[in-house]
Amino acid sequence: MSYHSGVCNFCGTGCGHLLMVENGTVRGVFPSPGHPVSRGRLCVRGWHIHELLATEERLARPLRRGPNGFESVSWDEALEGAAAELRRFRPDEIGVWASPRASNEDVFTAVRLARAVLRTPHIDLLSDAWYSSTAEVLREGTGWPGSLGTLADVRAADFLFVVGTDLTRQNPIVASELHFAAKAGADLVTLSSRTTQMARLSRTHLRPAPGAKKAVLAAMLKLLLDEGLADPDFAAGRIEGTEAVRLSLRDVDLAGLEKAAGLTADGLRDLVRRLAKAERAMAFFSSGTTGLGRDTVALIYNLFLAAGKIGRPGCGLVPVVGISNLAGANDMGAAPGRLPGWRRLPDPAAEAAVRSAWGEAAAVTPGRRIDDLLRDPAKPLRALVVMDHDEEINLHAEALKKLDFVLYLGAYDNPFIEFAHVVLPAATYAETDGTYTNTERRIQLVRRKTEPRFEARPAWRILTGLAVRLGASWGYDSPEAVFADIARAVPMYAGADYARLEAGVGGLAWPVDAAHPRGTARYERSAADPAPRAVPLREPLAGTAPAAADYPFRLMAGKSYFYWHQNNIMKRTFIPLREYNALLLLYPQGLVDVHPDDAARLGLRDKRPVRVVSAAGTMTVQARVTSDVLPGMVYAPYFIGPMIEGFLRPEAGAVERGEDAVIPVRLEKV
Amino acid sequence: MYILPKADVPRLLDAIAARYELFGPVVDPISGDTLFDRASAPSAVRLDAPIPVNTPKFSVFPHFERILTYRYDRASKALDIRREDLVRPKALVGVRSCDLTGLLCFDRFFLGQEFVDEVYRDHRRKMLIVANTCVRPFAQCFCVCTDSGPAAVEGFDVNLTDLGEAFLFETGSDKGRGLASELGLAPAGEHAARDRAAVVNRSIGLFDGQAVENKAWISRAVNRLTTGFVKPETWEYIGQQCFECGACSFVCPSCSCFNVQDAATQAGPTDRLRTWDSCSFEGYSRMAGEHNPRRPIEDRRNKRFFCKLSYSQSKKYLRPGCVGCGRCARVCPGDIGLPNVVTAIRREITEPKP
Repeated sequence: MSYHSGVCNFCGTGCGHLLMVENGTVRGVFPSPGHPVSRGRLCVRGWHIHELLATEERLARPLRRGPNGFESVSWDEALEGAAAELRRFRPDEIGVWASPRASNEDVFTAVRLARAVLRTPHIDLLSDAWYSSTAEVLREGTGWPGSLGTLADVRAADFLFVVGTDLTRQNPIVASELHFAAKAGADLVTLSSRTTQMARLSRTHLRPAPGAKKAVLAAMLKLLLDEGLADPDFAAGRIEGTEAVRLSLRDVDLAGLEKAAGLTADGLRDLVRRLAKAERAMAFFSSGTTGLGRDTVALIYNLFLAAGKIGRPGCGLVPVVGISNLAGANDMGAAPGRLPGWRRLPDPAAEAAVRSAWGEAAAVTPGRRIDDLLRDPAKPLRALVVMDHDEEINLHAEALKKLDFVLYLGAYDNPFIEFAHVVLPAATYAETDGTYTNTERRIQLVRRKTEPRFEARPAWRILTGLAVRLGASWGYDSPEAVFADIARAVPMYAGADYARLEAGVGGLAWPVDAAHPRGTARYERSAADPAPRAVPLREPLAGTAPAAADYPFRLMAGKSYFYWHQNNIMKRTFIPLREYNALLLLYPQGLVDVHPDDAARLGLRDKRPVRVVSAAGTMTVQARVTSDVLPGMVYAPYFIGPMIEGFLRPEAGAVERGEDAVIPVRLEKV
Repeated sequence: MYILPKADVPRLLDAIAARYELFGPVVDPISGDTLFDRASAPSAVRLDAPIPVNTPKFSVFPHFERILTYRYDRASKALDIRREDLVRPKALVGVRSCDLTGLLCFDRFFLGQEFVDEVYRDHRRKMLIVANTCVRPFAQCFCVCTDSGPAAVEGFDVNLTDLGEAFLFETGSDKGRGLASELGLAPAGEHAARDRAAVVNRSIGLFDGQAVENKAWISRAVNRLTTGFVKPETWEYIGQQCFECGACSFVCPSCSCFNVQDAATQAGPTDRLRTWDSCSFEGYSRMAGEHNPRRPIEDRRNKRFFCKLSYSQSKKYLRPGCVGCGRCARVCPGDIGLPNVVTAIRREITEPKP
């Protein structure tokens, strides 16, 4: 046969596909009808993954920077050279940046290399602004650092609540499940300032002013309690944490919200009644680069807890993950503040376990985020190990140029190698075995389809080779051996092994352990389990501040369908790249969405230039006039070169605050 | 017409595999899905398997295919173009009539117009087609509404019909007749045509109870589409649900739109690739100078349904573009496969005016 069963590697949905392999290269793709997540569907990205896997725009052989630029070297020379360089630095001068697209095995090996061999606590993930904080909220409430629900429940749900990002663009097959459910009668509600396709497919579209999502959610929670619709335990304060949550709700200003957010209290009241009445209710919100802030997620959780929907059959909260293994990479402990298995430091028991498994000298202290280190004027970082830097936006170019040593490993040609001193070609996910954990905690094993092309090697093998050259006594000879160590280190994976993961299509959802040998579809509370707790907010609920006179518009940063995640790998495809270019050719200077009323008032016209000015930065882009945005709102679907230099870099903090964040700007006709 | 005893099927497959690369319905051991795929061994071909999830069109129209290779030397401005003949003789065994009808649409598109596509022609010339009458419909099927099944009437070298103990072995070409004599098949008796008709009639009779997903009213939709009577609101309703994934085109046995792309290789020469494409993409119809005749999604959607069902398009294919396989409905994230579109058009006619 030429078609081989596997799992798509673009987003965190984890759809099943069949890759067509001919003469050692991937030449086609087809959806797998038997797969439990995708049931025979793929999105535009999934339908073109063979273009990426077949591209010749690969890093082909190990490179070392010499006096005249890069020169080809042997694997031995490259690894010896990298090891010698890394030995020059103190452990805390080195950082490791793992990839959320890499397999659990690759990321786990990187974590072990960092903490046990390089002995640095600075191990971090690229593109993970919000998944950690989202999962921490869910863990604080239920003990589960991940999705509380399963996609298999969507079509049976009565009430479906989507907060934020356009799922039809970010995770189309998840959105498809919601769409099918809505067509069959489920009450689909979207909370989003923009009119997205998801909003158009919803029965109700709540359209608050930018930045008011948190206020709307708090108002919904308050109304649920005021109307006497809340779960009796929550209402009576028998659930731990409810008092603190109630205290935060004192600041809810319904009248102010009606005025500022363009919503009516009656509309919200009707909505919470529908939520309370539903037997099976689920919520979906984005996590990852444009996710929601910690308190916004806490409010969604508390709303569902108060409505009695946490731990109940058929219910669940699903943080929707935009990158294939963002959830799994977090499970592996690629975070400066945690050890594998979501053990937040300090944690004496976990520290002792890691020291006993990885050696007494392993770094078990909390480290710092790489972003944070690169921004530190004291320049504490001198060397960096980077896997698969997919982001087109690089906010740290200057800091990266000043590093003494950068080791880059990745599969595809990438502008990031400009900063590297040694470049190592890694295998793609189709060229080695590995497991990936999707947005609903489903651990799926993907088997190798072809040999690595050119001189590439799997990342777990590259990192193991580096560890051995740095004096480590451990060595993995296969991804399966790495997974055996993962099962020992990560409690939720304790009962999983390759044979069990491969026993059926679709793998197993964690926790997989002695009590749940076939995995666990959803968080369901039995009488023996500890009761879920309310999750108090960390910051006071600020009212929606009136726009400042100088900066009357609110700018939101987002993403578009084809230019996905400002992503380097989409540029290695043909059709998705062309679709991205179709928009870029219309708006070559980049674009912001402006409402027709605002455009008329300011004399802006479609495709004509407009200057966007914030307190910190300025950019001149083209206007796209559309009523998909609200009056007073500006939406930037993506950023290109000059927009990054002039505007995004000075405003990086706001953008990193995620979808909740808005940047006050004014628009000037050019 | 000849009789092929079922015990002789392996002989037939072996004889074909000796001369051709053998493709047919095979079952993926991991997922249990039936795929039309290259058979690892003749015995892997399953003539009794369910309708394959993919169409055999990839055998003449791959996901992507190198159509030529060139090298350009900037200094001397020398251009060296090569078109290697990489096409191997292929046999498609167990092709259903819907998929075979799709190939006939392809023939008319690639060979039957002003220009002949040489790459396609090479695939097609070296091909042996053994069709297989569908003895039972599947939930998504509606070939009886699009004049494309359940039995093939043209375009095959051999057409098999399962008569129970044996297959009726109908020949449609010299290649087919050659196989019959090579295998020493006995001629079918005088009742063969009647037996075949009984099998086909029985299969058609099963549609009512088994093809339950797609109750559409194709002929009426053809009329409305051709005369332009479908309301814009209906197209907007359909367009709103389109996820722009291209899946409907990729699984369609008669969708032949393609893109041409040059890709540099690390070895030096540049490959010119033909890749699958879809009219649901905005970039597909974009022209130079920013002009795009089909920019809104509903315009792109309705283009596809015109292509499948309008009379003007049927004149090019000499039949409707839709072959009734129902695959588009199975893969569509927006639930707007062709049967649902036909239903939406029909609802427009049948629902009382407000």
